[in-house]
Amino acid sequence: MTGLLDLYSEKGSFLHRLDPRVKLLAVLLLSVLAFMLSELLPLVLLLAFILLLLALSKSSFGKAFFALKFVVRLMVLITLLWPLFDRSGTPVLFSIGPLDITEPAIWRGVTSAVRIGCFATVWYILMFTTQQRDLVRALVKLGLRFDYGLALSISFRFIPTFGLTIESIKDAQRARALELDKGSFIRRSKNYVSVLVPAVVSALRTADTLALTLQSRAYGAFRDRTYLREIRMRPSDYVALAVAVLALLLPALAKYVYGVPL
Amino acid sequence: MQALRLEDVRFRYPGMSGWALDIPSLGIGQGEFVTVLGPNGAGKTTLSFLANGLIPKSIKGESEGSVEVFEHKASEYSVAQLSTLVGMVFQEPESQLFCMSAEEEVAFGPENLAVPRDEIARRVEWALGLVGLKGMNGRSPSTLSGGQKQRLAIAAALSMKPSMLVLDEPAYALDPVGRIELYTILSDLKTNHGMTVVVMERDAEALAKFSDRFVVLVGGRITASGPPAAVLRDPRFLKEAGVSPPQLSEVASMISARRKGPPLGFLTVEEAVAEIMVNAPRHTRMVSR
Ligand SMILES: Nc1ncnc2c1ncn2[C@@H]1O[C@H](COP(=O)(O)OP(=O)(O)OP(=O)(O)O)[C@@H](O)[C@H]1O
Ligand SMILES: [Mg+2]
Repeated sequence: MTGLLDLYSEKGSFLHRLDPRVKLLAVLLLSVLAFMLSELLPLVLLLAFILLLLALSKSSFGKAFFALKFVVRLMVLITLLWPLFDRSGTPVLFSIGPLDITEPAIWRGVTSAVRIGCFATVWYILMFTTQQRDLVRALVKLGLRFDYGLALSISFRFIPTFGLTIESIKDAQRARALELDKGSFIRRSKNYVSVLVPAVVSALRTADTLALTLQSRAYGAFRDRTYLREIRMRPSDYVALAVAVLALLLPALAKYVYGVPL
Repeated sequence: MQALRLEDVRFRYPGMSGWALDIPSLGIGQGEFVTVLGPNGAGKTTLSFLANGLIPKSIKGESEGSVEVFEHKASEYSVAQLSTLVGMVFQEPESQLFCMSAEEEVAFGPENLAVPRDEIARRVEWALGLVGLKGMNGRSPSTLSGGQKQRLAIAAALSMKPSMLVLDEPAYALDPVGRIELYTILSDLKTNHGMTVVVMERDAEALAKFSDRFVVLVGGRITASGPPAAVLRDPRFLKEAGVSPPQLSEVASMISARRKGPPLGFLTVEEAVAEIMVNAPRHTRMVSR
């Protein structure tokens, strides 16, 4: 869980410096593009472009590897499973018992795998290069209510804390000779109640103090609050936004207006 | 001017039979450093919530009497408005820091108060500097030590420019060194910025040196109030308050009980030496030289 949360690393790439709103929109546009393309070649090109972005993001090798391992596993799984469920087309290459594996199905499997690869990697790049607070701020700037943005960032902030609480309760229960990981599924589930109940109580107490803290810090005093750090579009942000828009628009035009098979 | 004034204040939480707090009268002067001592359930937290309006605005119960903050009736203002007069620091470091960086934490209050951006930036630097966290703007609060966390919580209150700080057992989770650091910062705020400081604590010994006054709270009532030396001189107050008296003041009261003359009331080793030397019989003085 923490692995998912500390993806961001402080590096000075141009992707780090982009306005988080632009990054968010670009990621959305590229995701739409990945789902719009249906031919393998353009998808492979898109994947190559996205991997180039990943390289340019100067993400640490460890983090990139962690993320890509997940993406590659997903892609392999899709490639292998796709032909089992999609059995249309000819020729039949071979049969596993009653299952006919056809050549077009294999290609469709590979295509879908590449598409998912594009989709997942592009979101990883966003997480690698954008602090959660900037992401939340971008959402608020794009029209999300500040309350929701605050709730979102507070959950980001407290998930690891909650994890630590659970760990320390587990330790405490183990110290009382409760064997959490032994016995049948039912037995183990019952044991975990003795961890979850105190954890939830502790979380509720934290939430209580948090509510009082927010009020004591003048939360909700004015409808229009100010912000210490403003996010502002710079020329490079407009360029990046234009590139992202064109990256979706041009293939869409080619495909749907001029009938280019993409 | 009085920073905090309570008249005939009573409060009880829903379903309680007695009063959680029952204070006929309490005044805290502007610029005073007051320590409120009391055992579990004495009403320390309740008193601090009354001071910034959380009681009765946000925490429900039966409440009576009047609370005035710098001559403003607390009941006529929202908690947010009172936050510019009274800064609150809570016991739990973890649950009162909810941002991803120290800077955001300190900026949160003034942002809510719609303070202009460059003024917020100034206040962030100022407040972090006052609590000894200069340059830590980007640090994630969860990576700070317990003492640093509490100091960050103080900075987050200071950035709203209050004239009084109310701290509910701020040193609860700190080691002795962290405690003294914290109290020293509070004491500097009082001396250099005229801040009124009200600390709810059990740590009588360490706070004696910093406080102008000790108020002892037991079962929701004030049982003693006066200069630390005077309150500590009578260990009875502290015992009933469930606060263990400083060892030196116990020594003083034990010596006083066994001999004639004015009672001894030293609190520090230096005072002890001075008082014992003056009061000791002639031959002991010779020997000790
Ligand atoms: N939310 C609540 N609901 C009901 N009773 C409460 C509540 N909070 C406190 N009390 C009761 O009110 C009394 C005063 O409590 P308070 O928390 O103010 O004491 P305290 O001095 O802060 O104690 P501690 O040192 O344990 O923090 C206690 O008897 C307590 O049981
Ligand atoms: Mg308390």
